[in-house]
Amino acid sequence: MAASRTPIRLPRVLVAESGHDGSRPPPGLDAGILLRSTDLATVIERALADSNPPAVDLDTIRGLDADDAAVAFLRRRLSIEILLTRRPKAASAFAALGGLALHNVFAFDSTGLRRSIASHPRGARVGTVISPGLVLSHMLPSELALLVRPVVAYGLINTVADARACLEHAAAVVVRRSVAEDLAGGM
Amino acid sequence: MTSYAPPSVSEFVARLADAPCCAAIVDPVRLDAALRSRAPGIFVLRGNGLDLNDLIERVHDTGKLVAVHLDLVEGVRADHWGVAWLARAGVDAIITSHGQLMSVIRKEGALAIHRLLLSRREHLDTAVNAFSRWRPDIVEILPGVVLPSVATLLPPLEVPLLAGGFIRTPLDARAVLGVGAVGVTTSSQALWDLDGR
Repeated sequence: MAASRTPIRLPRVLVAESGHDGSRPPPGLDAGILLRSTDLATVIERALADSNPPAVDLDTIRGLDADDAAVAFLRRRLSIEILLTRRPKAASAFAALGGLALHNVFAFDSTGLRRSIASHPRGARVGTVISPGLVLSHMLPSELALLVRPVVAYGLINTVADARACLEHAAAVVVRRSVAEDLAGGM
Repeated sequence: MTSYAPPSVSEFVARLADAPCCAAIVDPVRLDAALRSRAPGIFVLRGNGLDLNDLIERVHDTGKLVAVHLDLVEGVRADHWGVAWLARAGVDAIITSHGQLMSVIRKEGALAIHRLLLSRREHLDTAVNAFSRWRPDIVEILPGVVLPSVATLLPPLEVPLLAGGFIRTPLDARAVLGVGAVGVTTSSQALWDLDGR
């Protein structure tokens, strides 16, 4: 497959799941599935079964490396459109194949945040996952301005209020299903 | 070295009662301000770990405590010998994310601070298991500013809790102290004089 330049649409909500139950995002919500903390066979099964391919948290998939071969397999064979990873090289490779890569930036304190941003590969089609996402609403405007768009908030977003606060600064949030269902009920 | 002995955990915690914010130093030019402040402890997060004697002496001369982050200072490896080096240099506490070094730090006579980097809810269970296994003297949670939001997810911890990371205002600091943290580590100079009462 040639590297497509078609824009990839990022849903506002990514529902983090292991993929074993085959569930869909809650109806009425601009949402997709993020497969994480699962195994390669499940990623393949879900990617081939779903008309909307799931996003994949590359670094948490058992049995899957984070090298060029793995990235090409996800993009070309499974048609994965959105990839989350802490590895700059994998993010760049996935973006080069026409996918939307989201590079993990860790925000444990302000100094570490700047160092983590410095490792971002930049480039077209490489956005940012901010971890933990809940920190977004505590960041200074000058820090928010450093984040490469689109920004996805991921981690410790445990309530609808948390998710809404993050969505004021981020293009999307990663939440558990229970939070997504609450969002669907109240959005 | 001198016959100086680090404080006990209870002595460390007692110092935080009056002034709960410790000064996190990532740039040596901030040290003077930290030494003039009410901060009871100086947390050294950058610099040359092989050249700390002057800094330690200056901190102790002001009656404050000094903690050094083993994983972040330069020149010292995060292993048994690195711990021994820092302890013998006279630091009061050693911070690290390496749980297996907690017993080594205590054996060398310093306070063992286990730094927990919290980015996912699933990390909470893992962390609590690690604490019971490695038995740190103190746990420091980062990013501390989210502690009020996740405190209800934490089981009761039997060790004192510090919160660090993105804590910039008195409101932030009061919020984390209000959910059980005994102290705050922060590079925000405005907080170093915060009153604990």
